[in-house]
Amino acid sequence: METFNNFLGGTAALFGDPVGIFIFLGGVIGGMLFGAIPGVSMLTLAAILLPFTAHLSPEHGIMLFSVIYCTGVYGGAITAILFNIPGAPENAPTAFDGYPMTLQGKAGKAVGAAVMCSAIGGTVSCVIMMFATAAIADWAISAFGPPEIFALVFFGLAVAASVGAKTFWKGWLSIMAGLMIAVVGLDPVGGIERYNFDMPYLAAGIHFIPTILGFFAVSEIFVQAEKKATGAYKAPKLSVDFPTFKELWAHKIAVVRSIIIGFFCGILPGIGATLAAFMGYNEAARWSKDRLKFGTGQIEGVISSETANNSATGAAMIPLLALGLPGGALTAMMVGVFQMHDMEPGPLVFLNSPDLVWVVFAAMFFANLSILLVGFLEAKTIVNLLRIPFQYLAPMILLLATVGAYAVRGLTIDIVVMFVAGVAGFFLRRSGYSVAGIILGLILGKIGEQTFAQAMQMLHFEFSGFLSRPIALGLLIAGAITIFGSIYGAFFKKQPVPTAAQDDSAQSL
Amino acid sequence: MNFKKYLKSTAVIIGAATLSAGTAWAECATDSLPGEMAKPDGFPARALTMVVPYGPAGGSGQVAQAMAQAVTDLTGVSINRDHKPGGSGTVGMTAYMATPADGYSVMEHIDDAASAHALDSGRPNPAEDLIPLVTSQITFSQVYIRENEDRFSDWPTFVEWVKAQDGKATIANVSKEGSMERVTMKFITDATGMKIQQISFDKGAPRYGALAGGQVDALFEQPGDVRKFLDAGKFKPILTILKEAPEAFADVPSLTDVGLDFEPLFRFRGFYVKAGTPDDRVEWLKWAFQKAYCEEGYQAYNESKFMTLIESFRDTDGSKELITSTIAQYRDVYKEMGLEVK
Repeated sequence: METFNNFLGGTAALFGDPVGIFIFLGGVIGGMLFGAIPGVSMLTLAAILLPFTAHLSPEHGIMLFSVIYCTGVYGGAITAILFNIPGAPENAPTAFDGYPMTLQGKAGKAVGAAVMCSAIGGTVSCVIMMFATAAIADWAISAFGPPEIFALVFFGLAVAASVGAKTFWKGWLSIMAGLMIAVVGLDPVGGIERYNFDMPYLAAGIHFIPTILGFFAVSEIFVQAEKKATGAYKAPKLSVDFPTFKELWAHKIAVVRSIIIGFFCGILPGIGATLAAFMGYNEAARWSKDRLKFGTGQIEGVISSETANNSATGAAMIPLLALGLPGGALTAMMVGVFQMHDMEPGPLVFLNSPDLVWVVFAAMFFANLSILLVGFLEAKTIVNLLRIPFQYLAPMILLLATVGAYAVRGLTIDIVVMFVAGVAGFFLRRSGYSVAGIILGLILGKIGEQTFAQAMQMLHFEFSGFLSRPIALGLLIAGAITIFGSIYGAFFKKQPVPTAAQDDSAQSL
Repeated sequence: MNFKKYLKSTAVIIGAATLSAGTAWAECATDSLPGEMAKPDGFPARALTMVVPYGPAGGSGQVAQAMAQAVTDLTGVSINRDHKPGGSGTVGMTAYMATPADGYSVMEHIDDAASAHALDSGRPNPAEDLIPLVTSQITFSQVYIRENEDRFSDWPTFVEWVKAQDGKATIANVSKEGSMERVTMKFITDATGMKIQQISFDKGAPRYGALAGGQVDALFEQPGDVRKFLDAGKFKPILTILKEAPEAFADVPSLTDVGLDFEPLFRFRGFYVKAGTPDDRVEWLKWAFQKAYCEEGYQAYNESKFMTLIESFRDTDGSKELITSTIAQYRDVYKEMGLEVK
């Protein structure tokens, strides 16, 4: 009851102030737009706005960033679905099935599913956040140290290898390729340079955002250009038919599963929405009765990815607010907003500034709900971008992707990486390798290597140390079972291979 | 390796006199500078670019933002921050060295630039290849434990407990090869005879979470970065790595108090312009950045980050002195550690 009263108080404070309403709406629309425009992201908007928050009240500043966070994570789904360009890394799995749906003339259903499920995932995690922030935060950092996070990464990679590629070997080779790319740069423990060939810029490593833009946006343009040149190009059919309630209800289990996965990934510092989306998608593919059709335009793929990444947003606020531990770049910027007002997120915020906390909670709740309204309106208009002829659309996409690749770190090498990934993706997609596997190997490889090194240091370089940590052990066993299961399926049961790589209308995951 | 001999013979210029505890700076370091300075031949005629070799959310990103804002408030000249993270500052430094020496590009960097040059003289020397405009943050490190820790409560009981673990005790830090953290921990472990496993976390949040969640036994960090945990009563310092404890941590033993005799290493952040930049432009930039240090907004920022516990300001000459002595100190330590010094 106290929680409900606090929530009502936060809501009254939020909507009882015209300035607050204006900032809230600005955050909702700004987050969606910057999330949706390829090449820029909610981080770009946040970085632009950060200095100006000094002139806002602490409540308004933090509320603005939390609203941008909620809607920005959703916004990237639109371009992922319509143009195969994820607005942000956490929207990458959305493109796996969302874009094939667009090619099949089901863009409206995919966008509608993304709107609905982003709102559901975000709202549910927001409600859990309101009720259990302190308890969950303490549990998460106590139960999940480097050994557990490494085990989670191992499990994630094991699942990813079994989904999306044409064969067992191609799945694992894709993952391994991603892991190899991840080791370029400084090693995460000693800071020793590896595979940078004396090029200082490579010391920074290969960033996954230019790689994603290359594998998805650039390679897609190559694919479509080839079709255009050979006369096989068909413009995507325009559709604004949103999914029916019955269609969404049929995937309720996938929604619940993705909420849990997303929430779980969100509360772990440094993990966040990207891993949430990939794991949500992978688990959906693994348990679905239509598993072999994933990657060809399954609405369940969009549902699972978008539910999970938005579910991670509320969860990521838990370690930030309760402990002062930001889980990713945007939440780290929120720390900056706090500090501009001589405040620090952490346990004292709940004691010293309960009004602020509940305004933020209320704003996030309503921001997720507003995705439903503004998202539907936005989707109805943005879908019309598909009317633009390919020869005009392609250069615009390439330009935006190039700007986006450069904007990550201001390094020219990231543009080179993007185009190399584009060419590689063009050939890999037709050869049955898993582009998603490479991306996930790259993202998880960095986390996995670091946490493995930390785990080994903590466990005194004895593998048996994992046996004494039940959660880590459970995840490692689950990963091993997944691997053996896929080996058994591939070599003994002779399971049919996924059709994604064979279907010309779809992409190889 | 005779570290005691090294520790006693090393003469580091960062004197205890300037780092004395409890000094109150009622007057700011650059109050005597003029409030205005004519722009030399109209410089700067456009916005400056500040290369920051780390991300926007960390300590460097925050100090860059605070200083850029202070310079803009003072002079009206805008500063665009260009973050180029990666390679422990290497990427940003490389990018900066490729810019023209016209004064329109300045750079933020930290003591890592000095330690990188100490290890490899092929890397730019911040005191020679760059001109320090101002060093605006100098801070010290501490060792922290959880407030509710029941296995040990202070430095002596911590050392005793660590020794009993026979190398199985852990401390979270940024233990990159040759880093300030690793070198300082070597000073401490050699002097006390304790063996402790250093767990490297390159980002702050997982590092602090590791201590808060009981994944590690202690944490090596600077006080400004963990202020919220100190204010919340979650962490407590058990050792201040200074010769004398500052007033704010008067009840926390210093190196002298626990019988450790080595010259402490400091984390410092400052702003630079390329050597070769026209002198009149350098002079204007020096004035702008040094005067901006005393702007109210910047001082409030430093205060919030515990950056006023010891003197954080160095002008150009003071910065050169600080950097040069730091390089010499690191180089000697690296040789003692058996690292390949190029």
